[in-house]
Amino acid sequence: MTDLALSPSAPPPRRRAAPRGAAIARVFEGLCFAAATFLLAALSGLLISLLIGGWPAIRKFGFGFLTTATWNPVTDVYGAAGPIVGTLVTATLALVVSLPIACGVAFFLTELCPAPLRRPIGTAVELLAGVPSIVYGMWGLFVFAPAFSKYVQLPMMMAAKPGSLLEKLTMGVPNGSGIFSASMILAIMILPFMAATLRELLMTVPAGVRESAYGLGATTAEVVTSVTLPYVRTGAIGAVMLGLGRALGETMAVTFIIGNSHGFPASIFDSGSTIASTIANEFTEASTPMHTAALIALGLVLFVITFMVLGLARLMLRTQEARS
Amino acid sequence: MNNVNAAEVFESSIADIDRAQVKVDVRNLDFFYGASRALKGVSIPFARNKVTALIGPSGCGKSTLLRTLNRMYALYPGQKATGEIMLDGENILGPRVDLARLRARVGMVFQKPTPFPMSIYDNVAFGVRLYENLSKPDMDARVEEALTRAALWDEVKDKLKGPGLGLSGGQQQRLCVARGVAVRPEVLLLDEPTSALDPISSAKLEDTVTRLKADHTIVIVTHNLGQAARVSDYTGFMYLGELVEFGATQDVFTRPATSRTSDYITGRFG
Repeated sequence: MTDLALSPSAPPPRRRAAPRGAAIARVFEGLCFAAATFLLAALSGLLISLLIGGWPAIRKFGFGFLTTATWNPVTDVYGAAGPIVGTLVTATLALVVSLPIACGVAFFLTELCPAPLRRPIGTAVELLAGVPSIVYGMWGLFVFAPAFSKYVQLPMMMAAKPGSLLEKLTMGVPNGSGIFSASMILAIMILPFMAATLRELLMTVPAGVRESAYGLGATTAEVVTSVTLPYVRTGAIGAVMLGLGRALGETMAVTFIIGNSHGFPASIFDSGSTIASTIANEFTEASTPMHTAALIALGLVLFVITFMVLGLARLMLRTQEARS
Repeated sequence: MNNVNAAEVFESSIADIDRAQVKVDVRNLDFFYGASRALKGVSIPFARNKVTALIGPSGCGKSTLLRTLNRMYALYPGQKATGEIMLDGENILGPRVDLARLRARVGMVFQKPTPFPMSIYDNVAFGVRLYENLSKPDMDARVEEALTRAALWDEVKDKLKGPGLGLSGGQQQRLCVARGVAVRPEVLLLDEPTSALDPISSAKLEDTVTRLKADHTIVIVTHNLGQAARVSDYTGFMYLGELVEFGATQDVFTRPATSRTSDYITGRFG
């Protein structure tokens, strides 16, 4: 049959009309391009306006803006070390606490959970991810903070000997709010998101790979740590970074419970502030142009930190891929 | 009437195997996926240091039977086996069986290659490390031995630190065989191990299987009748969840006892 079509005596192939989708295809491509370009424009616009708005503060304080901890609207002197450290410490602590729990939830749901419990727990995790942050904040302030103060903070401060390391770590007003409490609330907030994502990822591991690991006589713990988790490590790092990103930028819940003091926190139990909570607290009351500029510059710093976290994630992924 | 005939032949052929030579003895096995019954009263012996092939059309229960032998089905709720599977006289369907240890004794290679996301060396060493604490030189020797027996050593000896996923499909499958034999299982289950491979890789794998039977009891599920005829000593023909015929491979292929078997092996159905 193919021979026939190729032979010189065969009639010339019928000329086809342009496909009906041709006109739409151009429009479709154009729209997709526009959407992508819009995103890029929005990003650069945001960055530029933050730079312009924060420029007076950047020019006046220079690099010292990042390294000094004096934040005084009365004398118009601003140093952001307190909020920057607060942001980094709360986000890191939140991640350290919630990541192992998220892994545990995901492992349980994919490997160990009895079938009737699988749906209820899975749904609960997803519901928890959807709770608005203001609710976490209120719960943190009215329920978590008093309990934490009474059952953890006070006993630890009582037990601390003068001059000991414990005393240094637990310094502060024992009212339950502070850096540590904020970290715990953040941990609870990012936990369901990470657990749900990790679970989805683990469910993408091919049955054959999982069964092969079990087939060699591995126990569940060995299967998840040596085979299935490494199998999805690329996605897992992404999920963790998104969780970290949320912790870095979370505003409302943190503002409720971190104590909102500007100085450099004396301990992890001390009250402090994060970049987001500082901006939320002061923007409406910014009295001088320099105060506003300092807050905008603070926003720029947060932007850059988030950017660096994403960049770090990319870098980790690349070294991972280079290794495997 | 055909069935009566088959049952008689079946009994007589089982009697052909010396009972002392039976490594795994499946007796009256039923298997359920939820409510549907996938195996119906299957009894079949697997002889020590022999290759037994399971053939039959798709969905006849070959793979299901294989997956009961290391209780892989137990990973999935709702799947259940009843009857007896005696491994060296011990019923592995019993309640107090340590599944991890059972699976270390009864290894398995799957239809598609499933290398782990780690280096070639670590793929092979993975299972060994679970049960043995070998020194570095001993482990090196074990890895080399396993890869050699899987006919892969010459191709990978210079890139042991390279990723297992970087190998070709045929090499990946032989890596999975190496990984399986490295833990020195007593029984090796092969579930259509060459279905995803090209003819040359398949031939290499068949060589490997033939050489491995000196140390292992091998059960192979295959759709390739030529392969069953080439590598196996005994053959079981399954149909709709039942074992229709079982006997020495030569007999099953040259003098099939039931018309269904002869229809299948001559390609009239299946």
